[in-house]
Amino acid sequence: MSFQAVVFYVLSLILIVAAFRVVTAKNPVHAALYLVLAFFTASGHWLLLQAEFLAIALVLVYVGAVMVLFLFVVMMLDINIEKLREGFWQNFPLAGTVALVMVAEMLLILSSPEANLAGFQAGPAVAADASNVRELGRQLYTVYLLPFEAAAVVLLVAMVAAIGITMRKRADSKYINPAEQVRVRRNDRVRVVQVQAVKPEVDTASDTNEQQA
Amino acid sequence: MDMKSLYLLIALSPLVGSVIAGLFGWAIGRRAAHVVTILGVAVSAVLSIGVLKGFLDGSTQVFNAPVYTWLTVGGFEFSVGFLVDSLTAMMLVVVTSVSLMVHIYTIGYMHEDPGYQRFFSYISLFTFSMLMLVMSNNFIQLFFGWEAVGLVSYLLIGFWFKRPTAIFANLKAFLVNRVGDFGFLLGIGLVLAYFGGSLNYSDVFAAAPALASKTIQIIPGVEWSLLTVTCILLFIGAMGKSAQFPLHVWLPDSMEGPTPISALIHAATMVTAGIFMVSRMSPLFEMSDTALNVVMVAGSITALFMGFLGVVQNDIKRVVAYSTLSQLGYMTVALGASAYSVAMFHVMTHAFFKALLFLGAGSVIMGMHHDQDMRNMGGLRKYMPITWITSLLGSLALIGTPFFSGFYSKDSIILAVEHSNLAASGFAYFAVIAGVFVTAFYSFRMYFLVFHGKERWMENHGSHHAHEGDHDDEEPSDDHHHGLGPNDKPHESPWVVTLPLALLAIPSVLIGFFAIHPLVGGEFFNGVIFTNLEAHPGLEAAMHHAHDAMAMGLHAFVTLPFWLAAAGVALAWFFYMKAPHIPAAIKQKFSGVHTLLENKYYMDELYFAVFAKGSRALGTFFWKVGDMLLIDGLLVNGSARLVGSVSRAVRKLQTGFIYSYAAVMIIGVLVLMTYWFKPLILR
Amino acid sequence: MNWADLNLMPALPEMFLLGALSVILILDLFISDAKRGITYALSLLTLLVCAVTQVSTFEPFATVTLSGMFVDDPLSDIVKVAMYGVTALVLVYTRQYVKDRGLFKGEYFTLTLFALLGMNLMVSASNFVSLYMGLELLSLSLYSLIALQRESGRAIEAAMKYFVLGALASGLLLYGVSMVYGATGSLELAKVAQAIASGSANQTLLVFGLVFIVAGLAFKLGAVPFHMWVPDVYQGSSTAMTLMIGAAPKLAAFVFVIRILVQGLGEMVADWQGMLVILAVLSMAIGNLTAIAQTNLKRMLAYSTISHMGFLLLGLIAGNAEGYSAALFYVIVYVLTSLAGFGILLGLSRAGFECETLDDLKGLNGRNSWYALLMLLALFSMAGIPPLAGFYAKFAVIQAIVNVNLLWLAIVAVLMSLIGAFYYLRAVKVMYFDDVQDHSPITMSGDMKLVLSLNAVALLVLGAMPERLIAMCVEAMKQSLVVL
Repeated sequence: MSFQAVVFYVLSLILIVAAFRVVTAKNPVHAALYLVLAFFTASGHWLLLQAEFLAIALVLVYVGAVMVLFLFVVMMLDINIEKLREGFWQNFPLAGTVALVMVAEMLLILSSPEANLAGFQAGPAVAADASNVRELGRQLYTVYLLPFEAAAVVLLVAMVAAIGITMRKRADSKYINPAEQVRVRRNDRVRVVQVQAVKPEVDTASDTNEQQA
Repeated sequence: MDMKSLYLLIALSPLVGSVIAGLFGWAIGRRAAHVVTILGVAVSAVLSIGVLKGFLDGSTQVFNAPVYTWLTVGGFEFSVGFLVDSLTAMMLVVVTSVSLMVHIYTIGYMHEDPGYQRFFSYISLFTFSMLMLVMSNNFIQLFFGWEAVGLVSYLLIGFWFKRPTAIFANLKAFLVNRVGDFGFLLGIGLVLAYFGGSLNYSDVFAAAPALASKTIQIIPGVEWSLLTVTCILLFIGAMGKSAQFPLHVWLPDSMEGPTPISALIHAATMVTAGIFMVSRMSPLFEMSDTALNVVMVAGSITALFMGFLGVVQNDIKRVVAYSTLSQLGYMTVALGASAYSVAMFHVMTHAFFKALLFLGAGSVIMGMHHDQDMRNMGGLRKYMPITWITSLLGSLALIGTPFFSGFYSKDSIILAVEHSNLAASGFAYFAVIAGVFVTAFYSFRMYFLVFHGKERWMENHGSHHAHEGDHDDEEPSDDHHHGLGPNDKPHESPWVVTLPLALLAIPSVLIGFFAIHPLVGGEFFNGVIFTNLEAHPGLEAAMHHAHDAMAMGLHAFVTLPFWLAAAGVALAWFFYMKAPHIPAAIKQKFSGVHTLLENKYYMDELYFAVFAKGSRALGTFFWKVGDMLLIDGLLVNGSARLVGSVSRAVRKLQTGFIYSYAAVMIIGVLVLMTYWFKPLILR
Repeated sequence: MNWADLNLMPALPEMFLLGALSVILILDLFISDAKRGITYALSLLTLLVCAVTQVSTFEPFATVTLSGMFVDDPLSDIVKVAMYGVTALVLVYTRQYVKDRGLFKGEYFTLTLFALLGMNLMVSASNFVSLYMGLELLSLSLYSLIALQRESGRAIEAAMKYFVLGALASGLLLYGVSMVYGATGSLELAKVAQAIASGSANQTLLVFGLVFIVAGLAFKLGAVPFHMWVPDVYQGSSTAMTLMIGAAPKLAAFVFVIRILVQGLGEMVADWQGMLVILAVLSMAIGNLTAIAQTNLKRMLAYSTISHMGFLLLGLIAGNAEGYSAALFYVIVYVLTSLAGFGILLGLSRAGFECETLDDLKGLNGRNSWYALLMLLALFSMAGIPPLAGFYAKFAVIQAIVNVNLLWLAIVAVLMSLIGAFYYLRAVKVMYFDDVQDHSPITMSGDMKLVLSLNAVALLVLGAMPERLIAMCVEAMKQSLVVL
């Protein structure tokens, strides 16, 4: 077993345990931290594949930006995760069984002689000084131009959608416009009413009628 | 006018009248309803007489052509076509003229009935259906007419649909006729299957000789002659419609309908449709002696035993009804003896005198204020002279008094049977001869009870409400009383009632004398009705006598039938005029026989016990097992339950929780994967 | 690669769409709510120009461009034109409805056009990557469109479900694609097909990937057992969004499936055929049987959609040009029909009232017999009753499978459509024979009434004279799929 293989299995084990804990951790902060761990080990896998740029991007974008933001949100919102996960353990046996069967089947299939995974050879060696970033950029702007543009549009949609969904005037919000407050005049707020000093008669009869109606 | 339009006019003018009276009767009123229907039938009648005249003097040719193609199924055409030959022409005249008389009579008879327009619509519709039946040139149209007259009959028997007995009677008629139709339809099916794939009469008759020795296997291993099976099946249809034993049970009950209907449908026309059909099919029946024997036996039993029943009836209409059954038996016997022309001759004469008798009975019923029990009558001749004299003429015709129409037709039948060489002819001859006596006896029993003797409606007044009160001709909702009040006297009917009586009396008396020569002895039916004289010589004797009507009439005074009839009349006179205690004594002495007759040989009870109960049991079985269990339980409710349980199951999965949806998806993938990699996984 | 290789003409409509979309996006910022009609008009204009461009650049053969990422063939042309039309109809039908619910905003139009762009990409992609990008663009737009109705908890829930399950399905699809990539060494459909045909690909891996791909595709179509989102999303979303989801995306998803299964994995027809049979039978059965138990019209139509997708799959199962063209015809007719049906529901709804249960249709004939007739046409077409277009659509797919000797499947299909007829006819019965419960007048704008009438009448016309459209579908399939 080569050194890479040992690293791969160690990283994979950590990844799986971390991913499992993301789902099972009781404390949401712990879950988020386990997710960070999962991302780290995944970027380790990419390093093994010599995709250094992607590995770094994963750590920077997901761990650095996304997860930190996520942690903030989790801490601020004080989500009762126990309530969210009600029934989790109740359904766990079934889910676990399905997952186990799935894994077992996939193992059986992929390890069978028909699958012939051994037949797959490693790709051609890449020169030590080959630049990941350069190659990625070249591919993105030539062959994968269309998907790249499409990805840009997807981000645009995400932006539009985020704004569309969140930017709104809530009906129940207490909203004050200072400019209007400054510009207010007496006549806008006060109305002088002449009130006659006579006690109005109370029409009890019509009241009872209405009640009956 | 070409012949096609003429025939169309004959058939359709009653329909037009019927539609107007039926659909717009509420708008045009009673008077207009009867005017328009009578007009329609009158047009038909006049034109029919013209057609018959054309055939008599030879100026009209046989017309056989399609009129309208209804639909084409797999290369087979269902078309409406007319075959008008001498047989049709005769039936046209009989149907339309009797129908016309009945239409007129109805004005008086149904005068007070709230269903006046409906009634006229029905009888005109019946006329149309009957014309379509007789004018058909193919089996499909024949069957259409067959069912249509059955439908109208059903509607008219149950005309007073608020009466349970009427509803029971029409249901009974309907069901019994279904039995006959079942056979008829099977017969038509055999015709279609084997006789050249066509249902046109001419094609079928052309194909028949080649099939004389063809056999079919209905039960595997048993060879049956195709022609025999076909003919018997067709005859089963005729048995239903023409009320032959053992499918006769519906006819007496059909008297629940108004009397004009009994005259028109259940005596003169519809019930003879079976006779007409067998005559039409004479080329087929001639080829099967077995079938002819069956026909003859059925006819003989009906002729004799139904006559016996007439003797014990007290309801005036029922007497005439059993007489009709018996006379239909005579016609059927004639068919069995291959004397089709004689049968048709009897159909014609019978139509007139039986319609006369029925209408006369109806007139009596009206005179008695809707009391039908003969025991409450008597001495009516003083009060209802026209009814009396016409009824007497009708009765004389019925019993076969020489020179009356019934004599010629009945004697011809007896002659034909006497000379028939079929195995059943011995029994048949006995039956028809004995029947003459029985007929004379019950006919004149009725005549004496009604028109002569003491005026019993006075003395019996107190008890006459106890009579078979179900058979009175009126709406139960009508509050006008049954029977005569203490101070009432019977009265003669209005002219619209007596006129048809008079008009019908003329042919009842005379038509036999003039028609026997062309119809039986002559060549009127040549090329239309086919009789194999060598194989079935019965007709020859009748033909021989038919050449000279006068001689035949004179000769009759020395023949057995005449003396039997005379004896019957004399006995009736003795029993009911001279010594009324004797019948009562006989009734006491032979109470067993009387009870047997009273209960119509327990046929109804038998059918009830066996068929009605049996089919109800079968029906209950099918209902319980087939409907409730299989269809309702398994198919309908089962599928509903299946749908329900599927829905429930799906709903159970459709929890609304994302995780269960995801689980279903994952399991779906798992199943697909397992299914496609079975060999790899299960290794 | 240099600029000379960059033939952008085939993608002209998409480029115009994106450009116009951006313009509308910015322009809308300067338009007050009262004048939002301008955005509406501009969107319709954009659709019109796209359609004109699409038709005028039509060529009766396939052109692959953008490094094998994009293909312009008659199949994509016909479907794209249909999608422009359908989207325009959706905008017309939903105008009043979204106005009444305060959704008549710039995002509504831009997101709709974004979704259309995504669908265009799905229809015209010839590479797994571009296919996937198109799918995500469409999906994201749809999720957000549903979620736009923020005040409705049900809509948010629906959007959430759609989003999460859609992500799962995308994951399945991607996993399958990665297997195919591993087996064939390429993501380009043509090269994948080539590799499989040459026999150099790893068959086990291919089938393994295929299972996941089929699962992902089935989710997009809404076939059982990947259908669970459909009823909840249909019911939870506002009717306008339901229509949006149920109309054009079905067309796109159909071509998406054709691209992947027929163009890319056509050689594995024997494998995916079997999987689709299971999906089709389950869809027809569960869809129709469950629809019977529904009282909510939108939910009922959701299950009806599931069953229709089962029928659509029948055409694919046939595995030949006849079947594919029949399926194309089917999906076009289906979309037209559901447009008419949902259009009526939209028209019957008003501010503060949603027409969405069976009871809301009670006595429609008494309230407005013309709308009742239009709804009747739509329902009859869905049930597949001649002479409406739906009948010929069903007839065509069933004939296609009969011709490949899958008689039992045809019988199942007929039986299921028989069961399905029940709930359509029940709706008809409710419209015509039940007493009116809601006497409020039906107000429908003139243009909507006209378009809706034309829409429903088109079902009748297509039913009476389906030959032209069928011929077009057949031609498009023949010219687009080289494998045939």
